[in-house]
Amino acid sequence: MSDRDDRAPSDRPEVISLSFPARADLVVLARFTAATLGARAGFDVEEIEDLRLAVDELVVSFEAVQAGGTVQLECTQAGGEVTITCHVEPGGPPLASRDVGGEELWGADGELSKQLLDALVDQHGREHTERGPSVWLKKRRANVTR
Amino acid sequence: MVVVEGEVDLAVAPALRDGLEALLAEGHATLYVDLLGATFLDSTALGVLVTTREHCANAGGELHLIVREPRILKVLQITGLATAFPLHDSLDAIAGNTSGDESTTP
Repeated sequence: MSDRDDRAPSDRPEVISLSFPARADLVVLARFTAATLGARAGFDVEEIEDLRLAVDELVVSFEAVQAGGTVQLECTQAGGEVTITCHVEPGGPPLASRDVGGEELWGADGELSKQLLDALVDQHGREHTERGPSVWLKKRRANVTR
Repeated sequence: MVVVEGEVDLAVAPALRDGLEALLAEGHATLYVDLLGATFLDSTALGVLVTTREHCANAGGELHLIVREPRILKVLQITGLATAFPLHDSLDAIAGNTSGDESTTP
């Protein structure tokens, strides 16, 4: 048995790359991954819950301007900070499928999503990269200063 | 009354919307959403509640939320909606006031 505690926060960068079809019922995978990384970064329960909701909003808000495809998340934690970048490879059915309600749902909540992200994370934004548009967030553990 | 349990996200929001719209279509102007069993609420679900609240108001009624979970109350507070809905922390608080069929989502 090793003395090493795998749950202890680590200063070594840890990266999780996650790829899943842009389907509403799979957004839970993003929440699960974010929660796991938040725990690895030493977040407390409230910070982990904030991160779970924030990554949900990140994916959902990004999908509002996308036409489906494959969601690709790059999640990094180092030194008590979690960074998550979301990119969507085009193609396939949209996340907001006909059964989900499509534009009617999206139209109602874009501003709500932004309000939540503003409150839950330290920084978030959108940018255009060579892979296309992406959205990202950064959240630091409460007792970490930069 | 619509009873919502578990994580209410993009995947569940349509069922919530359908349940509430069905009650409105039956002529109920005032609706109750029981969120006591809900553990997570994102902006898509919140959007459904906001839209339904407007429909209720247009029909001369209100949309009441029964909620006690701190995480969900926090979402309502962040978005400035904690005062937009009549909130109750238990079913006892609304006993005798509910109308319409009861459905559970998801």
